[in-house]
Amino acid sequence: MERKMPKYNIFHTKVDDILAENQFSSADFESATAEEKESMVEMHKSVSYWRDAVRRFKNNSVSMVALAVVILLTLFAFVGPYLIPYSYEEQFRGSMKLGPFEYSEGELRAKEALGDADVLFSTELMPGSLTSLKKGDYAFSYRGDWYQFSLNRTLRSGFLMYNGSKAEPLYTVKIDDFIAGGDYETTSVAFTVVKDKPVDPDVTIISMRSSVFPHVFGTDSAGRDIMSRTMYGARVSLLIGVIASLIVLVIGSIYGAISGFLGGKTDFIMMRIVELIYSVPDVLIVLLLQVVLQIPLQNWFDSSSLPIVRALSSLGVGIVSIFITFALLYWVGMARIIRGQVLMLKKQEYVTAAMVLGASNSRIIRKHLLPNSIGQLVVTTCLQIPSAIFLESFLSFLGLGISAPMSSLGSMCSDAIDTITVYPYRLLFPAIILSLLVLSLNLVGDGMRDALDPRLKK
Amino acid sequence: MSDKLLEIKDLRVSFFTPVGEVKAVNGIDYSLGYNEVMGIVGESGSGKSVEAYAIMSLLQSPGRIVGGSVLFEGEDITKYDAKQMTDVRGNKISMIFQNPMTCLNPVYTIGDQLVEALTCHNSSISKQDAKKRAIEMLDLVGINNAEKRFNQYPHEFSGGMRQRAMIAMALICNPKLLIADEPTTALDVTIQAQIIELMKDLQKKTDMSIIFITHNLGVVAEICDKVTVMYAGHVLEQGAVNDIFYTPQHPYTRGLLRSMPRLDSENQDRMIPIEGTPVDLLDPPRGCSFGPRCEHCMKICLQNVPPLVEIGENGHVSACWLHVRQAAEKKEAK
Amino acid sequence: MTSYILKRIGSALITLLIVAATTFFLMNAVPGSPFITEKSTPEMIARAEAKYGLDKPLVVQFVNYIKGYFVGDMGVSLKMQQDTSVAEIIFNQNKLALSSRIGAYALLLAVVLGIPFGCIAAYNRGNWIDGLLRVVTTIGVAIPGFVVATTLLVLFGVQLQWLPVRSGSMETASAFILPVFALSFYPSCYIAKLTRASMLDAINQDYIRTARAKGLKTGKVIFKHALRNSLIPVITYLGPLTAYIITGGFVVETTFSIPGLGKYFISSILNRDYPIIMGTTVVLAALIIIMNLLVDIAYKLVDPRISLSKGDV
Repeated sequence: MERKMPKYNIFHTKVDDILAENQFSSADFESATAEEKESMVEMHKSVSYWRDAVRRFKNNSVSMVALAVVILLTLFAFVGPYLIPYSYEEQFRGSMKLGPFEYSEGELRAKEALGDADVLFSTELMPGSLTSLKKGDYAFSYRGDWYQFSLNRTLRSGFLMYNGSKAEPLYTVKIDDFIAGGDYETTSVAFTVVKDKPVDPDVTIISMRSSVFPHVFGTDSAGRDIMSRTMYGARVSLLIGVIASLIVLVIGSIYGAISGFLGGKTDFIMMRIVELIYSVPDVLIVLLLQVVLQIPLQNWFDSSSLPIVRALSSLGVGIVSIFITFALLYWVGMARIIRGQVLMLKKQEYVTAAMVLGASNSRIIRKHLLPNSIGQLVVTTCLQIPSAIFLESFLSFLGLGISAPMSSLGSMCSDAIDTITVYPYRLLFPAIILSLLVLSLNLVGDGMRDALDPRLKK
Repeated sequence: MSDKLLEIKDLRVSFFTPVGEVKAVNGIDYSLGYNEVMGIVGESGSGKSVEAYAIMSLLQSPGRIVGGSVLFEGEDITKYDAKQMTDVRGNKISMIFQNPMTCLNPVYTIGDQLVEALTCHNSSISKQDAKKRAIEMLDLVGINNAEKRFNQYPHEFSGGMRQRAMIAMALICNPKLLIADEPTTALDVTIQAQIIELMKDLQKKTDMSIIFITHNLGVVAEICDKVTVMYAGHVLEQGAVNDIFYTPQHPYTRGLLRSMPRLDSENQDRMIPIEGTPVDLLDPPRGCSFGPRCEHCMKICLQNVPPLVEIGENGHVSACWLHVRQAAEKKEAK
Repeated sequence: MTSYILKRIGSALITLLIVAATTFFLMNAVPGSPFITEKSTPEMIARAEAKYGLDKPLVVQFVNYIKGYFVGDMGVSLKMQQDTSVAEIIFNQNKLALSSRIGAYALLLAVVLGIPFGCIAAYNRGNWIDGLLRVVTTIGVAIPGFVVATTLLVLFGVQLQWLPVRSGSMETASAFILPVFALSFYPSCYIAKLTRASMLDAINQDYIRTARAKGLKTGKVIFKHALRNSLIPVITYLGPLTAYIITGGFVVETTFSIPGLGKYFISSILNRDYPIIMGTTVVLAALIIIMNLLVDIAYKLVDPRISLSKGDV
């Protein structure tokens, strides 16, 4: 059907000129069928709301990078601790105040010793923290084989080295002697290789490691591994962020929805309460709450044996009091947003139409209110996460949130301040992780807002 | 000097959006003489406002002129730089807009905004003179108590009053051309009539030309000498107001007229809507843009853009293959 | 106008009373007496409580407090500077003065930096200047204040040694530079973002198109017509900004070891010195509430659309 463009000047031409210059067939002037007309109008495929949102989010490179950072930091916080042999609260006597990738003398010796040996066995993860090992028979597993050995004397501390060839005896060294240098006493332990699991079920399994793991971020004044503490702190931050946002979401949306949906006097009173909480300078009250809640919470944790309370107490008083603070003060913003959404949607014609059609309240909520406000709910909740992290780190920095031995990025920064002139790197790592976390969460939230609600995009 | 005040030649405006180029104005062509009122009629999205903004160089990114020229008194103002253009805007060509409620800056007084329009083109004028002239203008557009009104803020004005103030502001430098972009659409019907009356009156007093953009055919009949019918960025029909109203040639124009409520119709005809929705400018049809909605659509209409051909006196032109078919049939009959 | 202001002052006083009551009852919700130490006997505690009137019922204590506040008596410190008047500690020991000086400088700096940078970003929308400013401001509003403060401390105090580090004394002007800059970083970035957004919003308004159609030059369009309108949201932000400056002051004073009211407040909380906690909370809350009041009035002055005679908010 393709035909060449007829020759004519498109403006102000005489019909005769066109006829003179072009040949038209009668087929040209046949009426077009409805299908032909239809085929000319290509309707743009309509994409579902979520599909479209995901596409918009994917096209936003900043948000995608931020999302990748958030995922990496989450892995860092939740998987990282399993990959390094140090825990956040363990204090290593010989390893205080180390810089990044610095080794204590003892660790250097252990490294040196490992130069000769294949494997370093230790009852604990680090030399220097061995629990005493009584005289007796022991077994341990290594590369799928079970090993048994007997100690002919009690070891206060020490570590076991395996010298390569299985035929050679394993010996233990007293760690203090080892670190002190000079001559150290080695005690041979006899051991036999057994293929099966030892018969005695109460054997002490000796953990082992094949190298001395570096303190990647260094250690603090108490000899705690900073990387491990940073990981744990990031985990605390993320947990607080997510749980606090969920608390805010639940309380805020229930309150806001009830207020907006009922309207009238109830709404008026409920909104005056919100305004009141809004007008109170929140941080002043939050600071007080942190102190006020400590003792009652501790008492509650100590006295109750309910599983939920046990779970809460394992989180620690500092974290739980932050949750309570959010539950008391920070839901007001969410409640306002939800109420606004509900009021706006109540006025929309399609809701009126649904009401006229006799739809029940629950149906209106499910079919109209929820799908329409879900975008804003998701975005507000997402942006609540960094602000919760913000608040926790602020409190911990001031010494009012989470404190040692529990780890928090805020309190780590605060601890680092005291030695800022000597060990600036101690501030560097928690500060960078915290900033990255808050920044990327904010960017992801912004990206989600742009993706979910394109009308808001500037 | 040209005998035409404004000549638009093959003007093309596109918006370069992330999803593609939207050809909002797709080659339009008309001229306007001195002391002439031209109506531009079309549905929403037909490109009539965009075309007006293009004349004024007021296009917002991502829109820009991609071709053609706008000759104002013989000079191509699309070639003007920003500084030259500020001399034209408000001074030689003025513009008033659709929504008087939002078109005045809420934080300055009406007087402030009027005086500013005057002083930015005439820096030598004294403050007193500027104020005097502004009050005169307010008087002229029928605002009572102009002295007092001068010091009031826009929110203290009603919609109709604001549009009057807008008109006063537009005319304060005695422009040769006024572009009115749907100036009455946002107003009540009675106020609409007053504003139209005022504009007619002022046009006679000041001898300016007006481009009157609207989708309201009734308004066009009231005030215009010439009418251009636009659809999807194309001119479909153009001619003297009587020709367009009494002998419309293009199916779209006929459709528009049929869809207009009439009190004077003798038989109780129903208003007949034009079926379908306006085209998607991102992906316009290959042939006639109105083709898919046209009841007379022919095979050729879907393939080729119809030429704008002369079909009557006084520059009555229309872009439809039907005219070519009629001519071809006539020729064959001979 | 007057009735509106009176009404707002009334509601401000109510808010202040609620803050005082919340603070008071929260403090007293903590079980145990503030005087419990390892060595104290029940008799000693009872004597100390009787001395400071803590043995009376809570409501009576609270009413006494409030009565005292009206005549400028804010009680005496229980522990930190025992028996010194709280009013003396807050107002005469240079604590409030020092904190307010830093806060006021930071507030001023935030406005002075934020608005022009916001305008510059809006004016250069889409090009590299805007991009750069957007990166800086996005980072600035996302990073916790103490990270900024400590980073500045490490960078300029420790590494480059241009400026004094935690000297404690605030006698030289150079001692103010880092704290003030640290404190104003977040609000500057926030104001810049706010100004940019509201500028762009204003630029897309119909009245800007009108101004351009009048033939005004771009500069005049932006600085006369767009800026004044876009400053309205910035003015509304000044209320929350004051609250931020106060809480941010806690962080900055802790970081830079500045003996201001913020640092003192934190230690009073940790020490459970009730009258100081009460006194400081009320003073700081009053500052925030007064600022909010001023902002509300200023807001109404800038925007002629809001009628001043009608009392509704």
